[in-house]
Amino acid sequence: MLITLFIIVTIGFMVIRLMPGNTMYADDPDMSAAQIEVLRAKYHLDKPVPVQYVIFLRGLLLEGDWGTSISLYVGVPVWDVLKAKIPVSMYNNIVSLMISLPLGILSGVIAAIRKNTIVDYATSFAVVIFISVPSFIFATLLQYFAAFKWRLFPIIYDASATGAGKLHSLLLPILALSFSPIARVTRYLRAELAETINSDFMLLARTKGLTETQATLRHGIRNSLVPLANVVIPMFTHIMSGSLVIERIFSIPGMGGLMVSSINAPDYPLTLAILIFYSLVSLVTVLVVDLAYGVIDPRIRIGGRNIE
Amino acid sequence: MRVDDLSVSFRAYAGLVKAVRGVSFHLDKGETLAIVGESGSGKSVTMKAILGILPKNGRIDSGSIIYDGQDLAKFTEQEFYQIRGKKISLVFQDPLSALNPIMIVGKQITEALTLSLGMSKERAKVRALELMNAVGIPDCETRFHQYPFQFSGGMRQRVVIAIALASDPEILICDEPTTALDVTIQARILELIKEIKAQRGLSIIFITHDLGVVANMADRIAVMYAGKIVEMGTSDDIFYRPVHPYTWALLSSIPDLDTKEALVSIPGTTPDMIHLPPGDAFSPRNKYAVALDFEREPPMFRVSDTHCAATWLLHPNAPKVEMPELLANRIRRNAEERIADER
Amino acid sequence: MSKVYAPDDPQFADLGPERFVLTQLDDSILDAKFETKPIGFFKDAAIRFSKSRVSIIALIVIAIVLAMAIVGPNMNEYGYNDQNMDYINLPPKIPAFAKSGIFAGTRVLLNRRVDALGDTSRYPEGCIVHKSNYQVINGVELCDVTVDYYKYSGVDDDVYFMFGTDYLGRDLWTRVWRGARISLVIAFVSVILNSTIGLIYGSIAGYYGGSIDMVMMRITEIINAMPTVVVVTLFILYFGNGLLSIIMALVVQNWIGTARMIRAQFYRFKNSEYVLAARTLGVGDRTLMSRHILPNSIGPIITRTMVAIPSAIFTESFLAYIGLGIRAPESSIGVLLSEGQKVLMHYPEQTLFPALLISVLMIAFNMLSNGLRDAFDPTQRGA
Repeated sequence: MLITLFIIVTIGFMVIRLMPGNTMYADDPDMSAAQIEVLRAKYHLDKPVPVQYVIFLRGLLLEGDWGTSISLYVGVPVWDVLKAKIPVSMYNNIVSLMISLPLGILSGVIAAIRKNTIVDYATSFAVVIFISVPSFIFATLLQYFAAFKWRLFPIIYDASATGAGKLHSLLLPILALSFSPIARVTRYLRAELAETINSDFMLLARTKGLTETQATLRHGIRNSLVPLANVVIPMFTHIMSGSLVIERIFSIPGMGGLMVSSINAPDYPLTLAILIFYSLVSLVTVLVVDLAYGVIDPRIRIGGRNIE
Repeated sequence: MRVDDLSVSFRAYAGLVKAVRGVSFHLDKGETLAIVGESGSGKSVTMKAILGILPKNGRIDSGSIIYDGQDLAKFTEQEFYQIRGKKISLVFQDPLSALNPIMIVGKQITEALTLSLGMSKERAKVRALELMNAVGIPDCETRFHQYPFQFSGGMRQRVVIAIALASDPEILICDEPTTALDVTIQARILELIKEIKAQRGLSIIFITHDLGVVANMADRIAVMYAGKIVEMGTSDDIFYRPVHPYTWALLSSIPDLDTKEALVSIPGTTPDMIHLPPGDAFSPRNKYAVALDFEREPPMFRVSDTHCAATWLLHPNAPKVEMPELLANRIRRNAEERIADER
Repeated sequence: MSKVYAPDDPQFADLGPERFVLTQLDDSILDAKFETKPIGFFKDAAIRFSKSRVSIIALIVIAIVLAMAIVGPNMNEYGYNDQNMDYINLPPKIPAFAKSGIFAGTRVLLNRRVDALGDTSRYPEGCIVHKSNYQVINGVELCDVTVDYYKYSGVDDDVYFMFGTDYLGRDLWTRVWRGARISLVIAFVSVILNSTIGLIYGSIAGYYGGSIDMVMMRITEIINAMPTVVVVTLFILYFGNGLLSIIMALVVQNWIGTARMIRAQFYRFKNSEYVLAARTLGVGDRTLMSRHILPNSIGPIITRTMVAIPSAIFTESFLAYIGLGIRAPESSIGVLLSEGQKVLMHYPEQTLFPALLISVLMIAFNMLSNGLRDAFDPTQRGA
């Protein structure tokens, strides 16, 4: 896992430093050649790329120094810029995940129990719609109708709001982000549970005297949650990339907008830091899901020792 | 318990599958009834109908299942709740898939007690440990907290039996309880079932495709083919005085270690349960089929008070057909051995 | 209890001995021959597929969009980048709908001064269709005016823009279908590349196994561990945002899924007896792979491809939206959406058409892939 992260950081650094036409400050007409030299020396840009890389890594690992923003927030340490943006984005993403999981599980369970009834068909239909239509289309729809036409929500994010007001102004983006994950969880759980319901241990649960509801609750649902962890990882990265666009639509000052503007500026230290941050988050997600597997599935926790 | 003219069918993609066609038998208290048949003969479906756990596309077309003066065939899910586990219990074929892989076995046993009998957790645990001890699981206290994957096949089946016994049922249905196990373990599980039966005065319905397994377990045996009982009688009737050609074929196919005879198989394949042939379903595979077999299904004919069979060969006008010589020899030899043993 | 009869029960007495002839005592009984004609795998799948109404509808919808993507941009005289400052932000106007109220080229202007409505320099003659919602604010009488926006903007009566125009006066009909064309090209080409690369890579890894397989799979694991956003961003940063670069960015990670699936298929079939039999008959590696093992994977590959297309369309629009994808003046669904988004409050119809198009396309492709999966693998039905 650390090796993967190292590879990502390395490739990221190399790609960004070796970008065609990337001679930072070289073409700035406002600065004299001497000034540029001083600046380039300050950010070690005058040294060969491998040396720059070692300097960058040493700074990152030993001092937590992510470098300094060079054009968007000139002179501000990258970490300070990120510190302000990360909470906003993560708030959206995590709330969206927190909404999606229970709602998706609930509707998946209902669809599986009522399999081949009108409820199930309606759910399946809704699932196809919500999985197919991109989140930014929902965002646009919500923004136009719920915010602009009916004036139920602010059209763009209100940075000054706190507490309930903050949630209120973020509700539309969060909703837009959540439709697809809800549908994904629903589809997955319905399939899993429908299969688990037909398993022998569900039958045994009923023959030993449990009602159908008890059997489903105690044996069906928990067992079908185990493989759900598989979809959570791609789902969270999906939410994160979706939020890049959603943040733009609702003018939320988060990582999404920052990434785009840092690429367009261009502000390479910032871009690199953002990319590393995204990699880090997705690796952490993998880790969390691995740990969750252990908690939920004893076969992994105990390591599959088979006592014969 | 009495099952009368029970018919069960399934809606399938290709048409209506008549899995059970007019099955009747009775089970006396403290008795072991074995139901023997090839896979697809409807034996498991009959049991599922008794417990009300038919899959959603299956239904009871006609007949009754009288238990304790009530007809289970007309029971709702709610009413079955009072019967399952408490009066009638089931031991599954495959103990691995029958146990919830992510729940400790102790909880799977106590669950039946706490949830459907309303026992307290502590008492349920004491009872579960007793049960585990009774079915021969060593080191119960530790085992109670382990997961199914930490158990061997035989131990898992013991757990399944313990679960089946948890609520003190009167009837235990064993659905091929030894098929998924090693041969050496099979014998021990069979021994265990016999023991438990004796201790608790259980009635047992034992389903198997292997006549050899039930030889010294069953009081009575019913042989099923294509959804019907073709011959039913006491264990001795079936093993020493079989009259139905299908039973002959089944008995001949048991491997015999004493002789060098080649293993006999039953020719042909099991019939298509959606489009059954007219007349006797076994006739196309029956060496001894008479012309009438292809037109009309034979009724159940009485052979003795305990023994009956559905074959036209019992009709007074039928030609005298003896069982295959090979089988006759074998039966004679077995009988002699038994007499020798009894001395 | 169904009845047990005595063998001499009178009910059966009339059955004479001639009915009891042993008919097949001397025949040898054989296993029944297979009587039904075997249906080929693809024919079977095709039959199942054609029975699904939803899949057929999806297929028709996709076919229509494809046809429009091919002919749509050339259906009128406007090019996708023909700017015309006289035709700015016109609403949709379709000849046949002129009287109906929708697609009639009208637009509601809010809160206009009533006393100025007679001014023909601002409201050319005959452009006002309907007035409503009179109110007085600060002593000024205001009302909402529905105008024929084409007349209002001084456009000739015989000019029609079926989807309207954008802020540079470009015909949106042309741009929408050209956008569909670009998006579909990106999707199809990248998916075909994905499948091809995945097929070859997976076949090699799966067929040879052992350490070759281990190294090859290790490589895919590393590539796959990077977040897609990061990979795509780096790729486009390095190679620029041309059509080819975007297609390749969609390939970098997506071939891995196909490769893994193919590899799994190989592991399943390569040790099966029929392959062993072919090998003992001296069939070479390449023939073994292509003739004996791969055909088993065609169903799953087609299904995967159909799932990958909508996700490629999605990624393209996503990239265009965040400014990393195709850029104006070139058109793509993503470009149109992100341009429409900027004027959403005033001219929502400029977002409507690309949004509808992408939604319909995505739904149709997803339905189609569901249908294909069910057709190729009926056991997965409804999953």
